[in-house]
Amino acid sequence: MGTGYDLHELMVARVAAEVDDDGVVVMGSFTPLAYAAYMLAKLTHAADAYLVGFDAVGMAPIPLSFTGAEAAAYKGAVARWGMLTEINSIHLSNHGGVEAVSSAQFDGSGAINLSTIGPFASPKVRLPGGAGAAEVIKMYRKMVAYFPNHNPRTLVERVEFVTGTRWKVGRVAREAAHLQPGPIVVVTNLAVLVKDDDDRPFRIESVHPGVAAADVVAATGFPLEVPAGVGVTPAPTAEQVALLRERIDPLGTVKIDFVPAKERMAYLRTILDAEWARAARSIPAASPSPSS
Amino acid sequence: MIDKVVPLEALDDLVADGESVALGGGWFCNHPMAAVRQLVRAGRRDLHAFTVVGSVDIDLLVGAGVLGHLSFSMVTLEAFGLAPNVRRAIEGSTNGSRPLGFTEWTGLALLLGLEAEGRGVPFLPYRGPFGSDIPAQYPELYKTVTCPFTGEELTAVRAIAPDVAIVHALRCDAEGNAQWDGTSGPDVEMAKAARRVVVTCEEVVSRAEIVARAHMTKLPGYYVDAVIEAPFGAHPTSHVPRYSSDPWLLMEYAAAAGGEDYAAYVDRQRGESEAQYRERVLGGGRGDVLATLAASAVPLPLSPGAGDLDLTGA
Repeated sequence: MGTGYDLHELMVARVAAEVDDDGVVVMGSFTPLAYAAYMLAKLTHAADAYLVGFDAVGMAPIPLSFTGAEAAAYKGAVARWGMLTEINSIHLSNHGGVEAVSSAQFDGSGAINLSTIGPFASPKVRLPGGAGAAEVIKMYRKMVAYFPNHNPRTLVERVEFVTGTRWKVGRVAREAAHLQPGPIVVVTNLAVLVKDDDDRPFRIESVHPGVAAADVVAATGFPLEVPAGVGVTPAPTAEQVALLRERIDPLGTVKIDFVPAKERMAYLRTILDAEWARAARSIPAASPSPSS
Repeated sequence: MIDKVVPLEALDDLVADGESVALGGGWFCNHPMAAVRQLVRAGRRDLHAFTVVGSVDIDLLVGAGVLGHLSFSMVTLEAFGLAPNVRRAIEGSTNGSRPLGFTEWTGLALLLGLEAEGRGVPFLPYRGPFGSDIPAQYPELYKTVTCPFTGEELTAVRAIAPDVAIVHALRCDAEGNAQWDGTSGPDVEMAKAARRVVVTCEEVVSRAEIVARAHMTKLPGYYVDAVIEAPFGAHPTSHVPRYSSDPWLLMEYAAAAGGEDYAAYVDRQRGESEAQYRERVLGGGRGDVLATLAASAVPLPLSPGAGDLDLTGA
């Protein structure tokens, strides 16, 4: 990768570019890459983006943290409402702007699998389930999917089980189904893929620096359109990188999904030690971090 | 004056083997963990749990052999991985026992099913998860209906009526008027759908204290059957604004649940009272650390250079 930024920062910046001032962004489980992208957008080009995280409605941007994100979300929010009262209403009445999801499998129709590998009733791997994603990826104006490891076992020809799907993709089909028109944008560690027409496959919008379009095609289990002269994904700006490292994610939580599985727990421990230190600054007598 | 306050141990009589129990909270936030631990201590069997986004609460209940069926839209330990006991139980690799029965809901449908029951109707329609394979798995829960006014095809979700709902609030009075200041998740919808409602709370307070902050009352007392004081009752999940989640313990839990000595891990919790749990796990200043982490967390200024928000009164 080029100097001055890391791959995950390029991905965060590209996801952030999809966030705009139109509609509501509802954050679900603590998925650091998506959270970082929303915060980056809010602090740069989309200051009026309306964020809902946990039950904090209209929240200010927050730093990523296992122990502080939730509490910080409430302190900068304009309202506090439970899941059904507000969050379901946002989805059901088509106020959703952007949703960024990841999944165990994703296919060229815009379907995600967060349910099962193997038969549904007797799974080989029981996955966590999709929560609201099963429905809301259909309802949001833009569906963004991100994958830290672009390979044909994740980006498959056909998901084994459809937990949820974009369902209608093109403008005419979406409007006829009472859905906001908007694309599917896939951001991976190799490239950016876009689909905005039911009858045409995903096309490569851009490849990341150093990646060839042929590598992307080879790593993708569904057909791709390769337009002539595919561009290179823009590098994050120095301002974006500085915001991510100094303000939004100083602990490096986004990188969790990018370290090798073997090193993952050790990496998490270093983050948790830093979180404990944040409390220890206020409580000098606190015992050492339990993770060390 | 009505007094619904009972000790945590009273839960043993409020939840019977084989009943369906909706458990509040979501993600790593505000699960009714003191009550979950009590269900484990009581040796409850064959419960049917409902969760919207479950985590350590559900994994512990499964691992301790409390559940006979799990209805969920998601169960995850997030950064700490898939829920090990839930995986093992559903995949059928738990030694000598039959696989755990499960119902995977789409998330909005699960909430709408609860809302239907709370509103006294047998189903609610919505523009459903078209294209998803989930509804076809459960024709007894999802059906297609035609709008009588426009002819549009909609998804009907059957009402969900749990025997019991258990939710964790910030404070509650003896009548059961319960307040939240942070994440309530699905708590109110679950309580309104259930036949019996148990509120655990960080503290039981006087009616006057509830009245003083009436705007924070999300569950009025007439829904509530029992009130239980359970400080740190959501630990190791969070109860904002009182304390953050305890990711150190969650990481330890994930390792234990995936390891050989999990039975011993459960037995230790089974063998100690809730007060002993608090003393063992939260003593030595750890509770203060978690409280400090919640209290000291602040958002970022809205634009760089705008200066930090004044949150001293928050």
